[in-house]
Amino acid sequence: MNETLILIPLVAASYLAAHVAFDWLARRYRIVSGAEYLLLGILLGPQVSGLLGGNVLEQFSPLISLGVGWTGALLGAQFVLPRLIRIPGEIYRIALVEAMLTLVVVSGAMVALLSWWLYLPVMDVLVPGFALGALATVTSEAGIAVASAGRPKADPMVRQFRVSAGLSAVIAMVALGLLSAIYHPDANVVPRGPTATEWVVINIAIGVIGGILFHLFVGEERKPDRLFIALVGGIVLVSGAAAYLRLSAMLSAAVFGAILANTSLRRGEIDASLARIERPLYFTLLVLAGAAWSPSPANWVLPTLIFLAVRGLSRVASARIAARANNAMGTLGPHWGRGLLGQGGFALVLVLSYVQLTNFPAPGIVFSAVVFSVLLTDLLSARFAESVFDTDRPITGKS
Amino acid sequence: MRRLIILAFLLGGMELIQPLGDTGRGAEWLLALGFLILAAYSVGEIAAGLGLPKIVGYLFAGVVFGPGGITVITPSATAALAPVSSLAIALIAYLAGAELRWGEVRERGPAILRIMSAELGITFVLIAAVMMPLLGRLNSFAQAGAVELLAFSLLFASVAIIHSPAVTMAVLSETRAAGRVARTTLGVVLLADVVVVLAFSGFLALARALVPPTGLDTGGVGLWGIIWELGGAVIVGAALGGLVALYLRFVKQELFFFAIMIALVGAALANLLHVETLLMLLVAGFVSENVSVPEDGAALRHAMERSADPVFVVFFALAGTQIIPREFGGMLVLIVPIVLVRMFGIWWGTRIGARWAGVPDDGPLVWQGLVAQAGVGLGLAVLVAEAYPARGGDLAALFVAVIAVNQFMGPVFFRRALEKSGEIPTGAEPGEPGDAADGATVPDLPGSYPDLPRHHSP
Repeated sequence: MNETLILIPLVAASYLAAHVAFDWLARRYRIVSGAEYLLLGILLGPQVSGLLGGNVLEQFSPLISLGVGWTGALLGAQFVLPRLIRIPGEIYRIALVEAMLTLVVVSGAMVALLSWWLYLPVMDVLVPGFALGALATVTSEAGIAVASAGRPKADPMVRQFRVSAGLSAVIAMVALGLLSAIYHPDANVVPRGPTATEWVVINIAIGVIGGILFHLFVGEERKPDRLFIALVGGIVLVSGAAAYLRLSAMLSAAVFGAILANTSLRRGEIDASLARIERPLYFTLLVLAGAAWSPSPANWVLPTLIFLAVRGLSRVASARIAARANNAMGTLGPHWGRGLLGQGGFALVLVLSYVQLTNFPAPGIVFSAVVFSVLLTDLLSARFAESVFDTDRPITGKS
Repeated sequence: MRRLIILAFLLGGMELIQPLGDTGRGAEWLLALGFLILAAYSVGEIAAGLGLPKIVGYLFAGVVFGPGGITVITPSATAALAPVSSLAIALIAYLAGAELRWGEVRERGPAILRIMSAELGITFVLIAAVMMPLLGRLNSFAQAGAVELLAFSLLFASVAIIHSPAVTMAVLSETRAAGRVARTTLGVVLLADVVVVLAFSGFLALARALVPPTGLDTGGVGLWGIIWELGGAVIVGAALGGLVALYLRFVKQELFFFAIMIALVGAALANLLHVETLLMLLVAGFVSENVSVPEDGAALRHAMERSADPVFVVFFALAGTQIIPREFGGMLVLIVPIVLVRMFGIWWGTRIGARWAGVPDDGPLVWQGLVAQAGVGLGLAVLVAEAYPARGGDLAALFVAVIAVNQFMGPVFFRRALEKSGEIPTGAEPGEPGDAADGATVPDLPGSYPDLPRHHSP
């Protein structure tokens, strides 16, 4: 009988079993995860069944670009200026210090390790090392949300977690976007191709121009279904333009989303339209990430372990330093960084876009490190966050 | 006007970045697709403003910006975007099947069968009759004998009688009509699709017997092949529908994602098992809808309907890119009589069928919903071209031209019929913001998972 016909129900059954299992885990042990989609991707990919064989990144490149762009637009749409300015500056400072410290420490450690491990000069591993540093700052909000259920939104710890998660997502996105612009392959144009700075400007300009034109395009459109169609067209166009130029689709689309969110009178409808296919695209990207994972034999193990360790230690330490530097130890406590340890699907989306865009050494190592970080920490992210909420600290609405 | 100016700016921007980009990774057609969606959206709004169905605008946008017009969408982009069309057809077929209720089929089935039989039969005979003298005008048939003309006339007629489930679903989705005329038209169109595929296979076999083919014998499946293609589609579709019902009963999560998966897996399965894709997904939709608990079936249908609008935009815009008007100029003398005779046959056959079915009032309106033609007809035309490369090419070009004309006219007629019957509801638009029928939550930041409440900023 045709192998494929046997494999389809086998993979479908495996997925369903994993979904039911993770669902049970979530309800029983407050474990949140989308890891079953990642596992499904691994099952479908060349490592197991080979149903998605060959070069997944190449085969599904446009879909990946679209998914990455849509995620960026969602992220950008959250940054509504009137809401952001109501958040106290101290919270931003703490988040920024923590994220930057993590970025620097992890980048430095991974550059050193990769240079030694791969027998390459430091300059050659600067990009993957820095990429790992940027990816290390990403935090999953899912576990935080579960742990903070029942707490008031104005709880200082909850606010700090949310702002830290958001800001670190932006930092990681911008960092990887800058990498793709700075290390852009030469364009064969006369008299000369764009410089690195010009590529950065082009990356951002795609989002700005797209956002402004789209804002004018939809005008007073009120019907949600029509708005959704136009939004699909806009995001596909912006993501496609960035991907065509080998720039970060996420960065362009995030700028696009931010402009829409801050200029449109239909913010609610835009949010709803963006959310409509966010999860299907998101899960599709997780599946593709799993299918795209093809680790080279053995040489990813040590870097992955070191990445996990360095990331964990630096997050907790950086968080402590940031709290101390801003006199917030009394509010946040010394161990609040544990709540930032969880990594979710957003990290996978980022690493997918990184390996899609760049031709630097060790893409498999970067990919594997993030995959394992997500698989391990995602399951426990709620527990990490819960361990931080001190039951003796009163739950207040004041910072 | 504002939107057209913005489209012009976007076009200029695309031209500007063209030398800087990297082709070969598919990003260029993602860019083209984004532009096509916005263009189709804009032209659709203009069409709606003129009182025409929006899908006419989508088709027109495809013609203007495709290879038949200013070639923003190149032939290679059209080919690369074909999987999007396939996904759209699969979704449309499933949705069409899910629209049919068993009770309704039992109640109206005999009437629909009679209307369909009369309409198809009369239209077939009339088209075959008019094709006999007309075929001789094509270069490749100039020296053809009577037997050859008869064989190809019958073959042509068996394709020309086809309708379009996609156009029917698109107009019903746009107008939200669900009355007697709408349901009867949908029933006739869906049933006719199956009959036409059967008829085509039969007449292709007859043509092969009378005029042995010179090209690929892709259309030449034997009797058992045809039986499996159609019967197998019913069996596999029913099984798929049952599995969907089970999923809805025991899991019922991520319905939008699941709906896309059904379409993708269904299309792949049909290809693997060599069964008729449209019929298989139609049956799957019908079975899942009628076997599931009503709320579960409605939830999945609702999730699919919410995806219908953008799917139709993409599908019909891409269909429009396949139409190249300058290739039709020399065939006008053939196209016009075929189109008119076909319309007359539909009108006459439907009236007779409606009287036979005891619903004479339906005839004058239902026939207008049967004028449209689209995708499946093109697929059958390609099969003819492959079997008869020399003559098939001319026939296929004529098919495409006739289908293109009906593709534009059909939605206009159908919408007119629905307006006349008073079946287009007025009132609130579906899909209001915050509608989370498929369980979608709205996270503030990426990384959030399902089942979590939306967080509001401090």
